[in-house]
Amino acid sequence: MALLDVGGVTKRFAGLTALDNVDLKVEAGSVHSIIGPNGAGKSTLLNVLTGSIKPDRGSVVFDGHGLVPLQPYEINQLGVARVFQSPEIFPELSLLDNVMVATFAARDGSYKLNLFEHPSRAGELRQFAEEVLVDVGLEEHLTMPAKHLSRGDKRRLELAVCLAHRPRLLLLDEPTAGMSQTETHSTVELLRKISATGMTKIIIEHDMEVVFSLSSRITVLHQGRVIADGPPAQIREDEAVQEAYLGGVHL
Amino acid sequence: MDIGSLALQLLTGLQIGAIYVLIALGLTLIFGTLGVANFAHGALFVIGGYLGWLISSTTGYWAAFILVPLILFGIGVILERGLIQFFYRRPVTDQILVTFGLALVIQEILRWIFGGSTKPFPPPTWALIPVDIGIGYYPPWRLIIVAVTIAIVVLLFLLLRYTRFGLVVRAGMHDPEMLRFLGINVTARFTLVFGFGALLAGIAGVIGGPTTAIYPEVGMAMLVPSFLVVVIGGMGSLPGAIIAGILMGEAVSLAVLLYPPISQVIVYIVAAVILLWRPRGLFGHKGVMG
Amino acid sequence: MIAQLRNASPRREAVFMAVAAVILIALPWIMPYIGGYRELATRILIWGIFALGFDILVGFTGYLSFGHAAFWGIGAYCSGYYLLHANANALVAILIGVAVATAVAILLGYLTLRRHGIYFAILTLAFAEMFYYAALAPLQDWTGGDNGLTGIRTPELFGVKLDGDEMHYFVAAWTLLAIYFARRIARSPFGLMLRAIKSNETRLQSTGVNVYRYKVTAFAISGLYAGLAGTLYALYETYVPTESLHWTTSGEVVIMSVIGGFGTLIGPMIGAGIVLYLENVLSASTEQWLLIQGLIFMFFVIFLPGGVMEGLQRLADWGRKRHESATEAEARGAAPKGASAPTAPLRQRSQKG
Ligand SMILES: Nc1ncnc2c1ncn2[C@@H]1O[C@H](COP(=O)(O)OP(=O)(O)OP(=O)(O)O)[C@@H](O)[C@H]1O
Ligand SMILES: [Mg+2]
Repeated sequence: MALLDVGGVTKRFAGLTALDNVDLKVEAGSVHSIIGPNGAGKSTLLNVLTGSIKPDRGSVVFDGHGLVPLQPYEINQLGVARVFQSPEIFPELSLLDNVMVATFAARDGSYKLNLFEHPSRAGELRQFAEEVLVDVGLEEHLTMPAKHLSRGDKRRLELAVCLAHRPRLLLLDEPTAGMSQTETHSTVELLRKISATGMTKIIIEHDMEVVFSLSSRITVLHQGRVIADGPPAQIREDEAVQEAYLGGVHL
Repeated sequence: MDIGSLALQLLTGLQIGAIYVLIALGLTLIFGTLGVANFAHGALFVIGGYLGWLISSTTGYWAAFILVPLILFGIGVILERGLIQFFYRRPVTDQILVTFGLALVIQEILRWIFGGSTKPFPPPTWALIPVDIGIGYYPPWRLIIVAVTIAIVVLLFLLLRYTRFGLVVRAGMHDPEMLRFLGINVTARFTLVFGFGALLAGIAGVIGGPTTAIYPEVGMAMLVPSFLVVVIGGMGSLPGAIIAGILMGEAVSLAVLLYPPISQVIVYIVAAVILLWRPRGLFGHKGVMG
Repeated sequence: MIAQLRNASPRREAVFMAVAAVILIALPWIMPYIGGYRELATRILIWGIFALGFDILVGFTGYLSFGHAAFWGIGAYCSGYYLLHANANALVAILIGVAVATAVAILLGYLTLRRHGIYFAILTLAFAEMFYYAALAPLQDWTGGDNGLTGIRTPELFGVKLDGDEMHYFVAAWTLLAIYFARRIARSPFGLMLRAIKSNETRLQSTGVNVYRYKVTAFAISGLYAGLAGTLYALYETYVPTESLHWTTSGEVVIMSVIGGFGTLIGPMIGAGIVLYLENVLSASTEQWLLIQGLIFMFFVIFLPGGVMEGLQRLADWGRKRHESATEAEARGAAPKGASAPTAPLRQRSQKG
């Protein structure tokens, strides 16, 4: 059975159909890419998966749980984490505190009235948070406010926040957008490293090189509709896909 | 109680609501276009009241009616240029704090100049002598308030619908990002909108002052219900503000008739009930503001 | 500030609390020398508790309430009513006042925290005004209407009348407790969650945190502090004026917090001290104290939104920079105008609507 099963999801915004009867199956352990031109509905689909937008119709089942009625924090607690298209971090908090928030949320659940817990009790969590930061390549300036980071590093930090939760499904919305060649390269390396842990991922990406080098399966969205779905080799040959991208990105 | 006195009371409710509407429309315009909740709007209302009292007792009421809104427009422009504009890019909290501070300072300056006691601000004598309007005798003054408010509302809607200024304001209320994108001179329009909001507060002060009495703290006393009118109308919705304003006026007026002690609490009770039922207000839609 | 606070060792914390205790107890003796009076110290502490709790909500989560007069006032009225009609037991009076204020805070928190920024400020203001007008007319049989609650007996603690200096020690003890717990909260995972709320709610939601419940809890805690301060105020004044529920009381704590500096815990308490002290000194020579207060407040909002604490921080940075460049110049024998390490601004900013 697929880890994530999206069935017939439709979402309209004031006349515009952003998602039109979308089906999607994501197998456990796979790296599933979603591609499509700007405005295809990719981010909207992620919004539906994480519960920040409720679909008009359709179902989202993650590991046996129906996600549609759930709040974003409940979905996250089930093991779905998301890296946003434009980095969402805690700009005023230090790098370490950014990750500590996630480690506390992983330990304490969505709410705990631990008003008086002394910081010294969180030593182990702190160590874990530092390790996660090192994993994503942020081992310096741990006490600096995150807003001083470069855009690429903010995304790494966001990734660290997501990973600190040890999610079972990681959603990445254009992880390399706005990055330099070298940054893109190291990000791809990083994603590879995470893949080695067997974590399931959905990646939205415009950089086809990245897509084809990482994915085990690709779904193509166009104007809210799935126009192709299959392994990379098959997508490369697909005529509908060529059509949708005509004049756009070359495959 | 007979139908006649009930009808008269409803008319009074309409008049009370009219003042709320005038203040709330200014708040809504400013909030919708500039994104600023103007906690100093009640203070602008009081300035209108004091100036109205001053001018009408020296020169005459009609002079006040013409001059006060114009002066308030000028004050609005000065405040926007001199202070508010520096806060567009600052956190919302700072915007609230600065307009709140402005409200306090204006209130205290007024107290300094005019003293803390209530100023008798009578409308023209003829407007106080009740006339027979079919359902009973009624002071024309209150009718004039309602009529002026209706005229203002009609004018406002014509302005918004048929002028370029109105187009920009409507676009701004719909999507502020869009304006910048279109390369419209937002700065000048923002100043005008703020001035225009102040002008509406001035009108409210000069026609409503005689019914609310004029003292320094009346600004805040009027601001809070007016803010509630904006909120339960659905923040940023002009029709919502009008309907909510009338609703509030009627609620107050009926409370006076039925059980006077709750006449000042009723506004809050009505607001609480409506917001529990519709958290975004009557005409509110998602996305305008949190 | 808070970041430093989180890493404080138990020993440093003990030293801090000891120093705080000495200052709180010595305050009435200092006051007469600087143009105040002994009881002014007690007043400052009471408002300090109010401002401290207010900071846990506003300074940490960024939700600016204009309605905390409700909890201060409810605390004051409930304990005043108990003292007036039942008994002189100070602890029971406080317990009743705090319990009711906290309960109301939880309720209002649930109602108002669904919305952000402006909306939240207006709703809290409106609800507090509702209590004010309710106390004024419909509930006047209990609240004394326009007169407030007058003729309250002097409260007692284990048979000791709390008056003058005894009252001050009593209030100082509560203040110490309030400071201690506020600092514990600031340092706890809970405190981190609150600061995360201010920083980015979307991220926090997506990190599996029930943001709403944390906000309601923070609101309730600040309501508890406000209620405690309000009860102490009733005990201290043996009188509950209607203004306790009025928006001016909410405004006062906002003004104190801004002048002192939101988000620093100690700042708002200092702000309370500054405001009450200046009021006392200036009221003697001018009728326009409220105008001056308004202007001072505007000055801070416009030029120094982080309050006195930000001012001190900037001064310290400036001093260090001068010192550093001086030593640098000595070392190199030249005078380079070098930038020192960037220091994080004290105040956190977030754009929220
Ligand atoms: N909250 C919303 N309200 C109205 N329309 C929306 C909303 N969110 C998205 N849309 C519209 O839905 C369509 C799909 O948007 P979406 O962000 O999902 O595209 P995308 O595939 O992620 O594009 P991109 O590659 O540019 O990120 C777009 O036309 C967008 O304008
Ligand atoms: Mg997108």
